[in-house]
Order: sequence, then C-alpha cells, then structure tokens
Amino acid sequence: MIRLLQVLTILINITLFPVWLKADESYIPILVPVTGFLSLEGTAQRNGAIQALDKAPINLNIKYEVSDTATSPEVAVTALHRALSRGQPAAIAAPIFGTQMLAMLPIAKRASVALITVSGTAKLTELNNPFIFRFFPGDSVVKVAHARYIHEVLGAKRPALLYQTTAYGQSGYSHLSRILKENGTPLVFEEALAPSVKDMLPALTKLKASNPDVILLHLHSTPTALVIRQARNSGIELPIVAGSAMHQPSTARLLKADQLRGVCAETAASPISELNNEVIKFTTEYKKRFATAPDAFALAQYDGMNMVIAALKSGAKTAIEVRNWLATNTFKGLAMSYKSDGKGNMAHDATIVCYDGKTRIPKIIQRYLNVDGVF
Amino acid sequence: MLETGIQLFINGISLGCAYALITLGFVLVINAIGAVNFAQGDLVMAGGFLSVVFAEFIIANNPHPITGVGLFILPLVLIGMACFGLLFSMVTYTPLKSCPPATVFISTIAAGLIIQHGINAGFGPEPQIGPALISSGTLAIGTLTLSKQQIAIIVSASFLILCVGFLMNKTQLGRQLRAAAQDPEVAETIGVNGAQCVALTFSIAIALAGAAGLLLSNQFFITTSDGGLFMLKAYIAVTLGGWGRLDGAVIAAIAIGLFEVIVATLVSYILAEALLFVALLLILLFRPSGLFAEAIQRRT
Repeated sequence: MIRLLQVLTILINITLFPVWLKADESYIPILVPVTGFLSLEGTAQRNGAIQALDKAPINLNIKYEVSDTATSPEVAVTALHRALSRGQPAAIAAPIFGTQMLAMLPIAKRASVALITVSGTAKLTELNNPFIFRFFPGDSVVKVAHARYIHEVLGAKRPALLYQTTAYGQSGYSHLSRILKENGTPLVFEEALAPSVKDMLPALTKLKASNPDVILLHLHSTPTALVIRQARNSGIELPIVAGSAMHQPSTARLLKADQLRGVCAETAASPISELNNEVIKFTTEYKKRFATAPDAFALAQYDGMNMVIAALKSGAKTAIEVRNWLATNTFKGLAMSYKSDGKGNMAHDATIVCYDGKTRIPKIIQRYLNVDGVF
Repeated sequence: MLETGIQLFINGISLGCAYALITLGFVLVINAIGAVNFAQGDLVMAGGFLSVVFAEFIIANNPHPITGVGLFILPLVLIGMACFGLLFSMVTYTPLKSCPPATVFISTIAAGLIIQHGINAGFGPEPQIGPALISSGTLAIGTLTLSKQQIAIIVSASFLILCVGFLMNKTQLGRQLRAAAQDPEVAETIGVNGAQCVALTFSIAIALAGAAGLLLSNQFFITTSDGGLFMLKAYIAVTLGGWGRLDGAVIAAIAIGLFEVIVATLVSYILAEALLFVALLLILLFRPSGLFAEAIQRRT
C-alpha cells in the first residue's frame, strides 16, 4: 500500500510538474500568497509580476510559474524548495508576507538566488543577507512621509493612532510613534487592534475622548475601511491619514465617496491616480487583463521584475550575475527610481494621496523623495 | 455619554445576535451527528458572498435605485443555503456516517477549505460589502439616536432564533429531529427517518450560517478568510454555553458580543480577547460541560 502511494506520488509529480526547463531558458518562479489573509496583496504581486514577465523580450526565453505560499512559512519554504528543484532560477518573485520571507531567506542565500519582494517588514533587510531586494519602501521611508505630512501640511499637534497587532502594525507603530515623539508631537492616544476586531466604536469612543486633531491609521484593508466608516457615521469628522491599505482601490470601494472626505494615505505609488502616460498604459493593460484596478504592490512588483529583465538584457546569465546587477545598478521604474542602499532596500520615495469626497480615486498630494529615516 | 453607552450596548447585542445564529447552527449539527462542523465559519462567509451576488443581481435588474435590499434577500439566502446544506450533508457526512466522529470533522475541515478557496477563485481576494438590511439612517428616541441597521440586525436575528426555538420545541418535526439526535436507533424504531433528520438539521444549520453571513457582511464587510474568526467565536460560545444546549449557546454568544464591546471600551481590545480565552480555559478546567448543564451525551 505504501509502495503504491509512493509510485502514485511520483507519477503525479511527473504528470503535473514536469521539468520543462531548457538550458537556454531563464526561469523565474512567482511564489506569492494568493489564498489566505494576504491574498489581496499577494494577488496584486502575482498580477504585477506576470504583466512584466509576459512583456519581456522573446529572446530572453523567460519561463515562469506561480505557486501559492498561502499563510504559513512552511508552505512558502516548500514552494521555494520545489522551485529550486526545477533548476536554477534567475531570480524569484517572493511573498509580501514578512514571516514567510524570514524563513525563505537562508534557503535563497544557500541557493544564491535573489528574492524580489514588496514586503515591508523592516527585519528582512537588517539580516545582512545579500539576496533580498525590496521594491516597496519600508516603514523607515513611508512613516517619515506619514509624519511629515501631518506635521507640515495639516499642522496637527495631537495625533491619535490605531494600528494592527500584527508584525506589520507593530513595525509601523514603532516608527511612527518614535518620529512623532522626536518632533514634539507625541501620540495622545494609541491602541492596537487585532485583524479580527469588527466593532470599531469602542476604540473610536476612547480616541474621541483624548481630543485629537488628526487620526492616524496603520491597519490592513478591511479594518481601515471599518474605522473610517464608523468614524464618519459617529460624526467624527477629523482628518484621517491612513497607511498604504487605504490607497488600494479595493479598500476605497467599501466606502461611499463622501465618507472618504478628509481621508489621506501614505503609499509608494497610486497607479490609478497617476497622470504619467506610461503608468496610465500599465493601469489600462492591468485592468483589461485582470478585471481589477492595480495598487502600489502590483506596480512595485512589476517594477521589480522589470529590473530583473533589465539585468538579463544587460547580459547577466546566472542567478549570481542577476543579483550583482540588481545590487549595483539604478533602475527607473514606473513608480520611482530604484537603487539598493547596500542592504537590499531599493525604494526610497513615498507619496501621500488624498480623497476629495466626490470620487473613490485619490489624488496625489505630496511626494517625498529619498526620505530614509530622515524627518 | 448615555447616548454613546447605549450605542455601544446595541453594537454588542447586534454582534452577539449574529454570533448566536452561527452558534445555533453549530450546536444543531453537534447534537445531530455528535461531531463538530468545522466548516460553519466558511459557510457564514459563503452566505455573505451569496447575499452580495443576490444584491448585485437585484440592483442591476432594477431601474430604480434600491437601498436596503437585505430584508428581501434574507429569505433567498436562507433557501439557497438550506439547499446547499442538503448537498453539504450528502458530501461530507452521509458517506462517512459509520466512521468515527473524527473522520466527519476532518471532512468538514476539507469542505470548508474547498468553499473558501473556491470563493476566492471565483470572486477574487477583495473584501466585499453585503446589502444593508434596511435603508441606512438613524432612529431618534427622545435624545437618543440609534442606528436603524443594527436594530434591524437584532430584530432579524432574534426572529430567526425564536423560529428555531419554536421549530425544535413546539413542532412534531422538531421532536423528531431531537429524538433522532438523542438516540437515532430508538428513534428509527418508532418511524423517525434518521438520515432525513440529519440532512434536515444540516440544512437548517447552514441556512442560519447564511443568514449570519448576510447580517455581518454589510456591517463588517466580508472576505474569504473570515471563516476562521466566525468559527472560533462559535466554538467559544458552545464551550461556554454547554455542548448541546441551544439556549446556552445563544446566551453565551450574545454575552461574548457584549463582553467584547464593554471590555474593549473600558480597557482594550487585547484585554477583551485575552479575558475571553481565560474564561474559556477556566470553563474547560472547572466546568467542562459548560455553564449550563449538558442536555445530551453521546451513547457509549
């Protein structure tokens, strides 16, 4: 019986997962979470990567395949091992989920293959692993923009913050609270919310009692929309400056346009808001192909994969040559220019977008260039 | 201040009522087959998505703008999910009814994952907003201003809970369902069709999950990964209320909703969640049959 199962497993593997890689082909696996609680962001990553790879020059002979990393490090590591078993990839599109990335990094280092990610987890680029390349600005960039906007543009003195209990939320909280404190406008209220929290009125009731002049959010997509809707329904009309989840078209879609009046968000980019022809072209193609609007994660992954394509075009043949090209060159992408800071942080700009209360498409209000950790 | 307090109380009750619908379905299945339906949370999520589909269809085919179509959709969701419940029992329970309960709950876990990933593949990962039960707005009672939507949730959920109570306690069908749950072999000797009763119980339980999905999908949005959360709350409510007790489960579910809102307001969400799990551990330690006495036990 066990023997039969072993044979069946081998047959299934041969049938479903043939080793089709040829000597002259460049193999780029796309390992992202398309199911589970990060499926929204993971799907955006997948779509951005596919859109870039499908437009690569034919002579580069790029082959790619998508594997779901779901929600656990074990699944991500299995997907990585399986991808590596097919042959040496030129580079790998890697998951946005920081916990999975932490588990994948040592394996990528042993295999000498670069991981191209949009994960914001600060720790990833602090481990001296030369095979991580992050194409989305980390919290040391976007939280500076977040704080500068409320300080310089809104002139707020009494900020209140709601953040997520997850690693994502903790990272944003620590950067934001430190920056605000250093600039003489410490938080007057702060509360951590688990992603499972549904009723936001208790938090808003306490927040209102602290008499803030601006509400800051660092939450995932659904909690961001829940807080904004409940705040507006409760008559709280304070300006809200949210994290990058609020720039996502799928978050804005949950709210009425008038509920978005006075709401802004920090992000790397907002493809649907851009007036640049190249970005408009990208957005149009993306909508046509995937029947949904792109967000900053899709654009960042698109740019990341295009930088890998640029490395291959410039003559990089092996994974280590691709890695070295990524580490030493500057690439002008659609969202921004990317250059490694020596640790794999490629994105150093941030954008503030705001809604006018009439449409669900935000307008780009401020761009902050090269703001790594500097207020 | 009083206004906020009452609004918070209503929020807690409305959340608790939705949890109660989920828990009620959960207990009905436990009583009927002696195994936990671990797909109950995913079925709530499926009900939410079904209501989104119905709402989009109705709005797209009506030239006049409609607000608050939820009340019209509620019976459709109940019927649709009840039919799905029959199919669900045929797939996850009937072929395995002679197996140990562990086999059945594993099959329900598998079914839940298939539902979750199937909906993710069909709808995409974006969160969705379900239809409002009634038109949005507020109700003024003296100086109080209350959300109509939440009052509608409380009234709808209470009505469904009372209907289930009436069905189970006051009708011949309910007696048959209870008899088949308590002792299927003896029930069959007096002419009760055990297989039909189990299928019907699944049908009722999953219809209630669908209704909860509709009620929650407008107020709190719905995503394909929400099932686990709903399942967890139902499991805690059943443990607190007593395995097998319908009334205990409903009371515990409403108490959980209220407890979460009150503790989160007075202290923090983190403490509310921590205390909830502490209460669960204490109950498991000192009163494993729940706060209310257990109504039935599986025969050995």
